[in-house]
Amino acid sequence: MAEKKRKERAGGGESRTNKKFKKHSNSKGLTKKSKDKSNMRRKRTGPRLPSALRTELDRLNARISANSDDEINSDVEKDVYEYEEEVPQEESRKNRRFDPVENYEYELPEDFEDENVSSDDDDDDNDDDFDVGGNEGNLIEDLDDSDGVEEEDDGRHLRMLQGITGMSNDAFEGKKKKNNVVISEAHPESEYNPTRDVLEGDGHITVQDLLEPIQGKPGYSKLRKRVQYMDRKSTSIQAPLPKADREKLERMAVYEHSKKDITKWEHLVKRNREAPTIFFGEDVDLGFSTVGAIASEFEPRTEFEKKIASLVYDDKVIEAHKADGSKLLELNKISAEDYMKHRNHIAKMRSLLFHHEMKRKRVKKIKSKTYHRLKNKDKLKAASAEMLMDPEAAKEQARKQEFKRAEERMTLKHKNKSKWARRILERGLNAQDEGTRAAMAEQLHHHALLTRKINTVKDSSSSSSDSSSDEDDEGSDQDRASELLEKAKEKTLKVLEDDEEVPNSGVLSLPFMVRGMKKRKEEAIEEAKLALQEYEQLEGTVGAVNLKPATASGRRVFGMANNEASESNNKIKTDNKKMKMDNYYGNSDSEDDLEAKENLNITGGRKNDVEKDAGPNCVHKEAADVRQDSVFKNFDDIVRDPGPKTTYEVAIFTSDSWRKMKSENGVDANVKKSQEIKEPIVQNQDLKEGEEESDSDSEEQMVDGILSTGPKDSYELPSQSELIRHAFAGDDVEEEFEKDKQEILNDENPEPDKPVLLPGWGQWTHIQHKKGLPSWMLKEHDDAKRKREETLKKRKDAHLKHVIISEKLDKKAEKLQTKTLPYPFTSKELFEQSVRMPIGSEFNPETAIRALNRPDVVKKPGVIIKPIKFEEVHQHEKPEDHKRSGQKRKPNRSKGAVGKMKKQ
Amino acid sequence: MKVKVISRSTDEFTRERSQDLQRVFRNFDPTLRTQEKAVEYVRALNAAKLDKIFARPFIGAMDGHRDSIKCMAKNPSYLKGIFSGSDDGDIRLWDIASRRTVCQFPGHQGAVQGLTVSTDGSILVSCGSDCTVRLWNVPGATLADSDNLSDNSAKALAVYVWKNAFRAVDHQWDGDLFATAGAQVDIWNHNRSQPVNTFDWGTDTTISVRFNPGEPNILATSANDRSITLYDLRMSSPARKVIMRTKANSIAWNPMEPLNFTVANEDCNCYSYDARKLDEAKCVHKDHVSAVMDIDFSPTGREFVTGSYDRTVRIFQYNGGHSREIYHTKRMQRVFCVKYSSDASYVISGSDDTNLRLWKAKASEQLGVVLPRERKKHEYLEAVKNRYKHLPEVKRIVRHRHLPKPIYKAANLRRTMIEAERRKEQRRKAHSAPGSVVTESIRKRRIIKEVE
Repeated sequence: MAEKKRKERAGGGESRTNKKFKKHSNSKGLTKKSKDKSNMRRKRTGPRLPSALRTELDRLNARISANSDDEINSDVEKDVYEYEEEVPQEESRKNRRFDPVENYEYELPEDFEDENVSSDDDDDDNDDDFDVGGNEGNLIEDLDDSDGVEEEDDGRHLRMLQGITGMSNDAFEGKKKKNNVVISEAHPESEYNPTRDVLEGDGHITVQDLLEPIQGKPGYSKLRKRVQYMDRKSTSIQAPLPKADREKLERMAVYEHSKKDITKWEHLVKRNREAPTIFFGEDVDLGFSTVGAIASEFEPRTEFEKKIASLVYDDKVIEAHKADGSKLLELNKISAEDYMKHRNHIAKMRSLLFHHEMKRKRVKKIKSKTYHRLKNKDKLKAASAEMLMDPEAAKEQARKQEFKRAEERMTLKHKNKSKWARRILERGLNAQDEGTRAAMAEQLHHHALLTRKINTVKDSSSSSSDSSSDEDDEGSDQDRASELLEKAKEKTLKVLEDDEEVPNSGVLSLPFMVRGMKKRKEEAIEEAKLALQEYEQLEGTVGAVNLKPATASGRRVFGMANNEASESNNKIKTDNKKMKMDNYYGNSDSEDDLEAKENLNITGGRKNDVEKDAGPNCVHKEAADVRQDSVFKNFDDIVRDPGPKTTYEVAIFTSDSWRKMKSENGVDANVKKSQEIKEPIVQNQDLKEGEEESDSDSEEQMVDGILSTGPKDSYELPSQSELIRHAFAGDDVEEEFEKDKQEILNDENPEPDKPVLLPGWGQWTHIQHKKGLPSWMLKEHDDAKRKREETLKKRKDAHLKHVIISEKLDKKAEKLQTKTLPYPFTSKELFEQSVRMPIGSEFNPETAIRALNRPDVVKKPGVIIKPIKFEEVHQHEKPEDHKRSGQKRKPNRSKGAVGKMKKQ
Repeated sequence: MKVKVISRSTDEFTRERSQDLQRVFRNFDPTLRTQEKAVEYVRALNAAKLDKIFARPFIGAMDGHRDSIKCMAKNPSYLKGIFSGSDDGDIRLWDIASRRTVCQFPGHQGAVQGLTVSTDGSILVSCGSDCTVRLWNVPGATLADSDNLSDNSAKALAVYVWKNAFRAVDHQWDGDLFATAGAQVDIWNHNRSQPVNTFDWGTDTTISVRFNPGEPNILATSANDRSITLYDLRMSSPARKVIMRTKANSIAWNPMEPLNFTVANEDCNCYSYDARKLDEAKCVHKDHVSAVMDIDFSPTGREFVTGSYDRTVRIFQYNGGHSREIYHTKRMQRVFCVKYSSDASYVISGSDDTNLRLWKAKASEQLGVVLPRERKKHEYLEAVKNRYKHLPEVKRIVRHRHLPKPIYKAANLRRTMIEAERRKEQRRKAHSAPGSVVTESIRKRRIIKEVE
């Protein structure tokens, strides 16, 4: 407070004295001065110096005045450099422009007062003078700041005046000087009261001068330091700017400041952006989490819970809990008797259980069928007895059986007796569409299965073979295979033994027919022999046997469209070979069902058909077997027929037997592409399956056997050309390559279709007919051709003879590729690397999956997310791993997002 | 003889509970599974398709207002509460879970232009074109939860009448100051009937104001003179102004990145700025076909939602040039205000048709309790989808949106116009002396100047 006052006073005094100087009015200055003096007296509050120091100071003052060559400048704010560059006072004092403002801003230093104090007690006048001097010094200093400018200004002003008036420079100078001279002092000149000349001349007094004498006195160093500090801190003060400019500057400063302030977030933001995952709401408590907390909320509601609670919260127990554990033990006490009783009881129960278990085990081990049958019977008997005893159970049983029967009736799936089935059969199966026939076959199949079941049930006691066959179903394939072989062999033998009776009359009795029959028979026998041989061979190698059915099935797969056809073909062949056999099957049928007979009739009809076809078929086959040349002939046939072509394509894989297959198929295709036979055969097969599945299997087996014998035959007679071709098979590389290339070219740029006229189209008249194809069609064709040639020429491999450069785009691969490099990635390698490792749980251990699959932002639903809070982040510190993400992190998950902002 | 057996300790294979999953050991040798990439690609594709199938973003509408909704405010401390103010001076508090009005705040004579809630969620501040600022007590959660269907209406705590109409208000985060925008920007204290501070830079009306939630002493406003202005309360002075070619309707600071804010502009785009470098936008978010009316950041800071005059709501990534999602319904009219819920899983829009609409922030997200295994699966599918999002098929499916016809057409038209402009520029450049025509990037082009 005091200081403030001091400042005010000082400021006031200063301004006043300044005014005095400006106005150069003596009287006014005098009054002002006296007023000032009184003012100072009144308000002086600073510390007083000890008398010793005061006398010293007095002495010093005297000395200063004596050596007036010393500079006098009492201003504390005085800058050393500025002082040295000081310009003549008279000039600077002229300019009043900045005075009021600067004085307003000026603050008198504190030590200045101290000096005043020291001189104050000495002499009023002296004090006053000193004061004046100080103020003067201030003024000087203030003016010094703008010295350079003013000097320049003055110079310019002078020049201007000269220019205008045409007078000499001196006139103007003189005016100024005159002004300066006017100043006079109110006090007589003395050493304590130096003249203006002394003050304004070289003899200025500086603070340093004043300080020097008190060197070594207590408080001197402090004083000096403060003075130095003030010297250093002194700054120039400039004129205030217009409000708009000032505000602008202020805003700039504010913006700079807040910019700097806001920059502190940068590291935090960067860290968050670069983190693969940020977690929100991790530390939020969502309520109960521990079991104990939940359990403490529990209240017994049901009877049982209450009972338990009453036990648990029994006073005694609680007391015991509270008091000591030992009391709890007392409560727990059981008498020895009770314990023994309990133990015995448990032991008894355990032994009973054990015995029961042992018994069960023993019973379970019994394998005897008789035993089981008897047991089952007993069970049934018991059940029936129970039924007798218990009318309820009987009723239930009856109801169940009735239900079963009803279900059977309702479905009737396996019977051919239904109205629908009968109608179908009446109309003839061949007249039906695919679906119906399939349904029919399915029915029959079902029925066959059922009947077989019935038979087995019937003969279970007597026929061992059936049961064995039944068991075979469950048994190993190997057994079945061997059995099949066995059966096949039997049948072949039968064929061999069988002497066909040559009919005496009819077409068959004709000599060429007889010859043909004979030949056929011979052939059949030969084949049968071969087959037998094969069987023996097969039986020897069980493994081979195992393989065989597989190959058979494999072969059956080929040529989807021809699948059934080929199957039927096979069947027919066998039929041809052993026509009797079919009869045999028919006879051996143990089943006398009406439906079966009907079907048999059908098969019979079919068989006749087959017999009719048999002749040429066999001839062809013979040819195929014997002569290799026929292969090519048949091949031509195949080429002509689109159907068998597919078989050719597939058969080519089965390297050895393909030729044979081909010829057969070709023949078959030639002889009968008739679908009419096919279906009944399938049906027949199904029937037979019903009767004896194994038999039909063996048939196929046999067929396969025959087929596989083919290569043996063909190997005997390789033609010369064939041999050569085989020998130099590898030599045709170039041609092959060319062919390949041509193929690829055709594939990628297919040749245009030849223009064809629809039959009857544009042929109303003969004239039209003669004209041939319309011109536009031809033109189109030509264009397409030319275009193709051009594209072929444009190909990259057009001039490269030994190179194929595929220009086909793989559409499927295209799906898996990006057209351009995706945004955040800078190189192809980076992108590829990012998708290289799979992230699924099938390909990664459980520990890694979580980190791999973690989303960018993890938050809990229903948890409020607060805005960011500031925390110190060390710039070079690595972002600390989250507690859960100790494992591997995905490198580029969030990188992209971050990079984006950074780049922009 | 050496016999190798698999040793498996019972400890490792015994489950603690019967519901626990059996431990499965896998051989992760990559040579055993060569099709992993293909498998994951297919999964990504399927995930993308499933996302499309399950995309049902619209949860429900909240109707009750009798005039178009002008402003909304979310309660920072209570998830379920949202306030809305309409043109007829009606303010309502909604319970989002039950989607009905909990409380009404009658009093305003004119349109309610701004709403905001203090950080502790106890005081609601509203201002309107009737030149008043009103403070209200926010009813507690108990009232919101009660099934009391009778109309609750609250009385204003205080009504401060001032010289000019107000256009917007926003509350400081964690403080007791709030700022109103109108003829000038006023800073108010809860307890004073007059503003504690007033900023006046330029003569045009300020239309929006938003405090920086991370840096509570910094606020940004936008004005009718197409300017965006930053203020610093510590120095109680405006800091910087940037003038764009079109005016910014709304401003939102990124709550996770106090450096950045995004403005919803009249020219159909949003511009993200770094407060330190206002001479160019960080990112331009294009997709709307009409003026963007309001914008609000997700509390995660990773995306923001915008409502537009073209009757759609869009969700953008904070650094994405195009929207991630577009929401529209047949009955939704001009959208005037949008808010992202405080848990970042819902979006609320208020529109001209007097309805508030509640949307899921992720269109195909499963609501309700998600079991850990389920969540793991979702996460995996998301990760896979994210990984293969660049492949054409996945990209196509993920990006595809059905748009209302007018918007589709308008977008096409806009595209054509922009393309034409670009072409023209190109030609001009090609036919003039090199270097004489300089193409400025769109991030700079829309800024006229930065005023200090």
